[in-house]
Amino acid sequence: MTTAIVTQLNGRVVQVRLTSESSDTTVPAAEDGVATEAKAMESGAAETTVAETKSAPNPIAPESKELYWAAGSFIVLFVLMRYFLFPKLKKGMDARYEGIRNDIDGAVTVKASAQSDVAEYEKALAAARAEAAAKVDAARQAVDAERNKQLAEVNGRIAAARSAADQQNAAARAAAQGEVAAAVAQVASKGAELAIGRTPDAQTVQAAVQAAMESAVSR
Amino acid sequence: MLALDFPEINSLLRWKDLFPSFNKIALIAVLAVVISSTIFLLALRQNHEEAPRGIRNLAETIVEFIENGVVMQTMGKEGLAWTPFLLTMFMFIYLCNVPGIIPFFQMPATARMAVPMFLALMVWVIYNATGIKHQGIGGYLKSTLFPPGVPKALYILVTPIEFISAIIVRPFSLAVRLFANMMAGHILLVTFALLSEALFQAKDKILIPVGILPFFMLIFLTSFEVLVAFLQAYIFAMLTAVYIGGAAHPEH
Repeated sequence: MTTAIVTQLNGRVVQVRLTSESSDTTVPAAEDGVATEAKAMESGAAETTVAETKSAPNPIAPESKELYWAAGSFIVLFVLMRYFLFPKLKKGMDARYEGIRNDIDGAVTVKASAQSDVAEYEKALAAARAEAAAKVDAARQAVDAERNKQLAEVNGRIAAARSAADQQNAAARAAAQGEVAAAVAQVASKGAELAIGRTPDAQTVQAAVQAAMESAVSR
Repeated sequence: MLALDFPEINSLLRWKDLFPSFNKIALIAVLAVVISSTIFLLALRQNHEEAPRGIRNLAETIVEFIENGVVMQTMGKEGLAWTPFLLTMFMFIYLCNVPGIIPFFQMPATARMAVPMFLALMVWVIYNATGIKHQGIGGYLKSTLFPPGVPKALYILVTPIEFISAIIVRPFSLAVRLFANMMAGHILLVTFALLSEALFQAKDKILIPVGILPFFMLIFLTSFEVLVAFLQAYIFAMLTAVYIGGAAHPEH
């Protein structure tokens, strides 16, 4: 028995394959081979049967082996990803992000603490400055008071010395005036004695000299 | 005349078995798992307390992209439990897309319907199951088929539309969007590569310099496919998150 297998593409017969129990012969299709069944005569064969008609596969039809491999591959990758790869990677990412968040929180805390320290420092600095200013003022006041006191003492001493000197000057002047007046009175008395021939009254001469000297001093 | 011998479409999309029942598409799918796992395993070897760098930086960037760019945007904080699933989805699709521009592979696994179809059906099952889990089957059907705020008379129109939209079209559009984009990109790259080759090897010498044009287009499309690979993975993950979030919390 002989079987003819006809291969079609877009309705055209592209190949006819004859198979029998003892042989397998391929015959090219005829130019006008548009038949849906083919009759092939094997030389010497008494009987020909149309057994099978095969078309070219649809190019977009899915192949089961590709479907199985795609499904298997995807499922394997999903299982790996779901239960091993993704959780481990994500755990690491989360741990690092948590660490970064903690670092940021720590930095914020340290910054707040530093700002607090700076505020305290500035407060202490202001207090120290105020205290220093107060001390400087107090010292200045003390120094001023001491200076005024000492100045007053010195001025007192100077005034006393000046007073003493004035008194001495006055005494010396009075003594000098007394001596001058006595000398002038003596000279005047002598002059008068020479002029009038007798000795004038000493008290009168002295009073006249005194009056003349005071008059000269007042001028 | 220039004769471009464009290969039969199946020879561009269907790959012979490297091993029994294991072809290039299966290889890409397996490599997506291996590469994703390797990235995360290498990332895990680094000290997590230090600032991330190199491969750990890459892994953490992907995780944060999914968390902040997909989950938080669509599902909020309550959706963070879905991050591993969406992360797997994004990485798997991206690593299945990218081989379309990698020499020797030059085939995105998602340009074969099997991969997007599986992913879309899985998403369909998951968001329906999530809706039923959170609202009960009656509540889920009510919130899906009878959206609040619509006049009752309009339910005659709205309910069938919502049924078709939410239950039938969503998985179909998810699968077709990814598949069609990647297959179109793949065929475009093949077309311009073949055209460049044909022009560079043309018997008519005047055609040889013209080959620069499709060659530049090939380079441009290759760069564009880098963007498409990322974008399609992102869109698929984003829509998945939207569907799951909508099923879990329809009031949002």
